[in-house]
Amino acid sequence: MSEERTMELLIGPQHPSSGHMRLYAEVDGDIVVRLKPNIGYVHRTVEKLAETKKYIQIIPLVERPSLADAANHNLGYVLALEKLLGIEAPPRAQYLRTILAEMNRIHSHFYGLGIHGIMLGSSTIFMWGFADREIMIEMAQRLTGARLTYSYIIPGGVRRDLPQGFEEEMEKALRYIERRLKDYGKLFLRNPVTRARLEGVGVLRKEDAIKLGIVGPNLRASGVPYDVRKVQPYCAYPELEFDVAVREEGDSMARVLVRVEEIRQSMRIIRQALKQIPDGPILSENYLKMIPPKWKEFMETKGRVKFPAIMANLRPPKGEAISRVEAARGELVYYIISDGTTSPYRFRMVTPSFRNVVLFEHLIRECRVADIPAIYGSMDYFPPEADR
Amino acid sequence: MMNLMSLFRWILDLLFSPWLFVPLIFPGLVTVFLVILFIIWFERKLAAKVQLRYGPLYVLKQLGGAIQLVADLLRYLFAEPIIPAETDKLAFVLGPILLFGASCFPTVAIPVSSSFYAIRSDISLLVALGLLAFGPAITLIIGWASNNKFSLIGGLREGYITMAYEIPLFISALSMAALYGTMDLIEMVESQVGWKWGLLLNPLAAITFLILALMSTSRFPFEIVEAESEIVMGPFTEYSGILYGLTMGASYVKFYVLCLLFSIMFLGGWKPVPSFLSWDPIGPALVLLLKSLILMVLGVFMRAVYPRYRIDQALKIGWHMILPLSIGSVFLSLGLILLGVVP
Amino acid sequence: MSKGKSTPIGRLINHLEAIETGIKYLFIPRMTVMYPEEVMELPEGYRGMIKYNKEICISCGLCAQICPADAMKMYLEETSLAKGGEKQAKPKRYPGINYTRCIFCGFCVDICPTGAIEHVSIHDVAFDSFEAQIFKPKDFETGPPKVRYKKPPRRVKPRMDPKRGITYEPAD
Repeated sequence: MSEERTMELLIGPQHPSSGHMRLYAEVDGDIVVRLKPNIGYVHRTVEKLAETKKYIQIIPLVERPSLADAANHNLGYVLALEKLLGIEAPPRAQYLRTILAEMNRIHSHFYGLGIHGIMLGSSTIFMWGFADREIMIEMAQRLTGARLTYSYIIPGGVRRDLPQGFEEEMEKALRYIERRLKDYGKLFLRNPVTRARLEGVGVLRKEDAIKLGIVGPNLRASGVPYDVRKVQPYCAYPELEFDVAVREEGDSMARVLVRVEEIRQSMRIIRQALKQIPDGPILSENYLKMIPPKWKEFMETKGRVKFPAIMANLRPPKGEAISRVEAARGELVYYIISDGTTSPYRFRMVTPSFRNVVLFEHLIRECRVADIPAIYGSMDYFPPEADR
Repeated sequence: MMNLMSLFRWILDLLFSPWLFVPLIFPGLVTVFLVILFIIWFERKLAAKVQLRYGPLYVLKQLGGAIQLVADLLRYLFAEPIIPAETDKLAFVLGPILLFGASCFPTVAIPVSSSFYAIRSDISLLVALGLLAFGPAITLIIGWASNNKFSLIGGLREGYITMAYEIPLFISALSMAALYGTMDLIEMVESQVGWKWGLLLNPLAAITFLILALMSTSRFPFEIVEAESEIVMGPFTEYSGILYGLTMGASYVKFYVLCLLFSIMFLGGWKPVPSFLSWDPIGPALVLLLKSLILMVLGVFMRAVYPRYRIDQALKIGWHMILPLSIGSVFLSLGLILLGVVP
Repeated sequence: MSKGKSTPIGRLINHLEAIETGIKYLFIPRMTVMYPEEVMELPEGYRGMIKYNKEICISCGLCAQICPADAMKMYLEETSLAKGGEKQAKPKRYPGINYTRCIFCGFCVDICPTGAIEHVSIHDVAFDSFEAQIFKPKDFETGPPKVRYKKPPRRVKPRMDPKRGITYEPAD
């Protein structure tokens, strides 16, 4: 009679730290023999829904899957749409888009850090991460009018201009975040308990990372300096100076440290962009001339944009377009095929979390049960983004 | 009228007789309940202050939500204790009750002052420590009886971690017994004259005893048995209602007993009694309680600072780091005796 | 960010640093807002509920065409028969909003060619029933309901601060 050594553990959707997914773990004592993820619990058919909506209505739709990172998704979609329409945004709008995208990167990384902290047991980092996120969300609220679902970037430019006093408040906010990162280092990143939990756990080698097609900070923590903002720059990135955060070890601690370093680089980018931002209009000329002239004074004094009536029924010419952006969790690809009507014929979005799902099976093997939340949190996997 | 007064006086005499006062009032059941009510609220308030928020606030707003735990206890009393169909029902229901009782039990051996004690024996330290060892066995039974894989893993973790802390705990306590030359808790306090507290004489034993107290009662960073993000509350996953309330309090009661023992062995017990409070046994009781509460607050503050260890890392710490330090404290005690520091 | 040390003395120093940081934060003031006793002043341009001005609406229907969540719908207005022999006016359509679907994106505000639709800074309103949230053009004209508090709250204004993050000062 065969002896059963392993026990099947279902870390299912009703579990304090499983997210919206299920993990089938085969456990032999305290060692995890195999782990299979079971995703799809929050599949909301975003790609099929997009075929029934008009192009401008897809903007709030693509922001919803990855709510922690809405601006980068918005940006990717609008870049693809602008390629189809054949228009370009003016330079001031490019800088504003970059500023919002980097603010979003900062508060998405704080979200990931907080969730990782509570999975390891440190509720302090959870509360601190979400408290510091509030700073960036408040600044984004002054810029766009909403806290999390911005819908700020439209084909041709952006919707609003910088409000009064934004630069000074942003400088104060960034200085506060710098002070706080030092306290994070003392309390969490150099804490011997955290180091014992994260160092040497879940090591991803460079060759495996390239072979499996991993993207984002998980790839950069294994020694591959690949960042879409440097490989194929878009928006205002060609004119801004920043470094790509890379580490060689490839374990969970390296992934966390890469994200903290990226927060620092994002702060550097925001400071440069606010200094170098050129003056000018925030919507492309093609659309500005369609707006009735009585709104010109309103737009200049209030710093807002009125949509021309054609925005409700955009009809790009037939064709297809691809765009790539660097979202907070990795590289994000949009592919739109248009057939000349007001809705796309085919809409495809490849999210970074979906490309990182294979790491569950690859990394969580021959490790202990307590390593499952440690590795899961360090990957910064966001189930709604992967399931779309 | 005379009968009522004499009846009242008889009840008061009965209540203050040592063999009823110690198990029932201090450090027995009533104090245990009051300490749990205070310390869980204070833990939540401390952790909240470090995390830049308020914690429990609205129950009695002027006092900062101080009676939040009374509200929680009432809620647990009125919630339905669900007993799943395929568990071992007798073990499932009796488990938390026995666990809480076994954690309260060692208070019977702890003296309140030199002349106020429930039992006096030559080995009262061993009695107290030995009675504490019942807990893990009952946790294992609970883990198996719950018919849940997560509870099973949690119960087994409790068994494992007992291996890590039990031996060094006894060695550290016995090193202090060797230093004072007695295992009687009352004589231990009598030997700590003036400034010669156990903490200053043998700090190695004090540090190891404190770390082992954290390890044995699931305080951070050793909250391994009830690791919420891995095994959903460990052995206590299936409990609801008053049974859950009992399991929640049991680990705090054990920590309270260990802090009482620490105050007696290392912090001078109930001495020095201030002159305006020397009414036996209230004065010494309050001094002992104050010292234990300060220690509990220190232990509970670790929630705000540390994540949790893995089970194999905790075992490694217990065997590679704490056990040599405990044995070192024995040698330190022997050295101090040879030097004649303690007669 | 520098990595921690791995000698035993180094680890002890890291332990003490962590505990010292915890103790330091015991003396730093809290950062939360006690809603609903304190209410935050929203910045200008906040995307809240919608206010509608029927006088300048020209019934173009662009707001209903662009709404991503199908919250704006054009309703047919009952025509009033003109007196005497005047030609019957063509029935006009006016917008109504369904707040169970609105996502507060503000596209309708930005596209309205006459400026009949605007945002107000009200967002925390409770309704009594599901149907009360569907505003026909008649209710839409009267605007979003006023927020009712049990006690008048203190109004605070958030402000950035390099030492404490966000401080909330009383708004006057």
